[in-house]
Amino acid sequence: MTTADGTVQGTTQIFGSQPRNRAFNVVLLAEGFTAAEQPAFDTQAAAFVTAFVATAPFDELRSVINVFRVNVTSTDSGADDPAAAGGTGATARTYFDATFGGNGIRRLLLANATTALQVAAAQVPEFTVVLVVVNSTVYGGSGGSIGTYSLAGGATEIAIHEMGHTAFGLADEYPYYAGGAETGHDHHPAGEPSQPNVTLDTARATLKWGWAVRATTALPTQSNGSCAQVDSSASPVPAGTVGTFEGAHYYHCGAYRPEFDCKMRNLSVPFCAVCRAVIWNRLGPLATLTARDRTPITVVARFPEHLDVFAVGSDGRTVTDWWDRSTGWSGWSQLSGGVASPGGAGSPVTAVHRHAGHLDVFTVGTDNRIWSAWWDRSGGWSGWFRVGSLLARPGSTVTVVSRYDDQLDLFTTASDGRIMSTWWTAGGGWAQDWFHVSGGYAANGSTVTAVARYPHHLDVFAVGTDNRVWSTWWDERWGWAGWFQVGGQLARPDSAVTVVARHPDQLDLFTTAPNGAIVSTWWNSRGGWGTWFQVSGGVAAPGSPVTAIVRYTNHMDLFVIGTDNRVYSTWWHDTTGWAGWFTVSGGVGKAGGQVAAITRTAEHIDLFTVGTDAKVWSTWWDGSTGWAGWFQVAVS
Amino acid sequence: MSEQTAAPGRPGAVRMIFEYEGDTIRLVSTQRVDVAVTGFDLPAETATPPGHYVQLRSADGVSLAQVAVRNGPTASAEVFPETAGEPIVRTDLERPRGAFTVVVPAAAGARQIAVVEVAHLPSTEGLAPQAGVATTSTDLATFDLDATEDGAS
Repeated sequence: MTTADGTVQGTTQIFGSQPRNRAFNVVLLAEGFTAAEQPAFDTQAAAFVTAFVATAPFDELRSVINVFRVNVTSTDSGADDPAAAGGTGATARTYFDATFGGNGIRRLLLANATTALQVAAAQVPEFTVVLVVVNSTVYGGSGGSIGTYSLAGGATEIAIHEMGHTAFGLADEYPYYAGGAETGHDHHPAGEPSQPNVTLDTARATLKWGWAVRATTALPTQSNGSCAQVDSSASPVPAGTVGTFEGAHYYHCGAYRPEFDCKMRNLSVPFCAVCRAVIWNRLGPLATLTARDRTPITVVARFPEHLDVFAVGSDGRTVTDWWDRSTGWSGWSQLSGGVASPGGAGSPVTAVHRHAGHLDVFTVGTDNRIWSAWWDRSGGWSGWFRVGSLLARPGSTVTVVSRYDDQLDLFTTASDGRIMSTWWTAGGGWAQDWFHVSGGYAANGSTVTAVARYPHHLDVFAVGTDNRVWSTWWDERWGWAGWFQVGGQLARPDSAVTVVARHPDQLDLFTTAPNGAIVSTWWNSRGGWGTWFQVSGGVAAPGSPVTAIVRYTNHMDLFVIGTDNRVYSTWWHDTTGWAGWFTVSGGVGKAGGQVAAITRTAEHIDLFTVGTDAKVWSTWWDGSTGWAGWFQVAVS
Repeated sequence: MSEQTAAPGRPGAVRMIFEYEGDTIRLVSTQRVDVAVTGFDLPAETATPPGHYVQLRSADGVSLAQVAVRNGPTASAEVFPETAGEPIVRTDLERPRGAFTVVVPAAAGARQIAVVEVAHLPSTEGLAPQAGVATTSTDLATFDLDATEDGAS
């Protein structure tokens, strides 16, 4: 009973059309099907596909799923069924040497995993999951690096449960090892499990699926009153409630699962919300992101060989993708289950790195409250939490400035247009709540911008309700100043005032005039404010903000979507002044969109924008090679 | 976008198949594959949670790339109920054996493959869950990449 007992006939793709190198590729191997029985295997494979892609969340992820059928003939039909394990005593000469009765248990159906993996690798080198379909109506299956299942009713459930382990790293959520009568499984040992769907932690602030728990849900949600046995009581909360339910990961007590029930606990029930999110974040990065048309993208370089990009999907999901020189692009994944406010251009995810091992991100949620999450090198992403009680304007941007490592200052607009701020310090945590900044109001759609020229100084800008450019500042010694007009410049009501500080005693401002003209002014400590002027005759598309970066103290680069929706750039150098506008590699963005730019090193620029196809595109400029072509940001 | 060019060069990846029986792990094959390794499969930058990992290492033993093994060597198997509502259970295997596969981003300069087990240190007993990060790393097997069928570098 070896590979001499059959032949590999060939492979047929029976579902999906995603390129194999960016797909979740499921391979079904025929076992115990004779040459004459291959049509029966074809039928079983089709039935698997029907069941699989109807299972949430795979039903919503069909676009990145491929299923392949590998027809393998065996000399005999079926599988070994040892009498010692209660079977018929039948033996069958089959390619993968499948046998019921593993460990003396008839329904433990095993196959030669090495052979199965080798055949899959030869037929579909890009495979993700291998399932061996055994030609027997005796109930059976098993998991591990390959899944096996028979043709008995309901056995495909085994395959989908096993995918939870093999492809997604999910833990078993059942609260016993051998059915509940075993000893030594009363209390889970110390040490947080690494799997995303079981925990020893019931603290709301640190719970790894805290993002999915409503504030009104008690934690722990269900406790086991007698750890000597499995808790058999009913759920105390409605089905679908995410919390912490005691009894998981093979132990009666001490370990918790996210919902009362889940496919990782019982067959024939749906995956819980946390497991569905994990599956989303495994398969989602294989797809290209469809982004909200005009929602700004944020990009952060924690160190020169790494980029973190934040965007919002067309469905409002807050998403992130990162690039590292050593591994390429990771693919878009949802950031802690967040969904951003759809008002106006849509609330972006803004981000700051206080140091190389930490990120803080902010957005306005669908409840129009301010939400934040953080990423830390040692612990990964936190859940989202609310910052204060402010009700923000729908679609507002939360501007964040880190004056030094242990300080954050936030700015945004309230629902009535008030310009609001709050702060966080490492020593004191978040301020009690948001405060109104010197009585200022912003025009509807205008973003409040800010810059820290010194650790003890902030300059803040907005377009006021009179459509003029206004500013205020804060200094540690004197507190907040009153708002003042910057040169009387009229701006488009939905403009942002982009500001950069090339050095601590210099500010450069950019915005768009009512006719779209891209205008600039400056301030320096020697001469005060300059006059507004149009930058090289440039005109921006309605709603498109001007992006500015500083590569040297005497050099700035600007980017904007022009009136023909092309991506334009110009630069200023102290010795040559402003250059003419030019199109960046022929790129075309969404009308009213934004171009995100970052300089990881002085001689390198990375750009991101939403293209006409609603995908996120990127290009780069390097001092030695010039501008590259645009490419879609996805997994690489 | 009105113009499109190819994305920057894909780093490439290597599929490895391992076989184990008892404490012995054998590298069965390495195969260069064009597969995107997503962030989901890549480990956190510093913290490595308990589990099995496959590392690509340089000649002097420095880890160049690492991925988690979702179904590594195990001494038990899941047994599924025939009747809905009955429990899924696990059973200890009399003779643990099997195989597993990983896809690792290709790393220039890789000369060694290691199968590593990361486990909680016993000293984490009694610590709060979030404090239980002390781990120990053990090489279960190492292989000279130059000796395998096709190199990964």
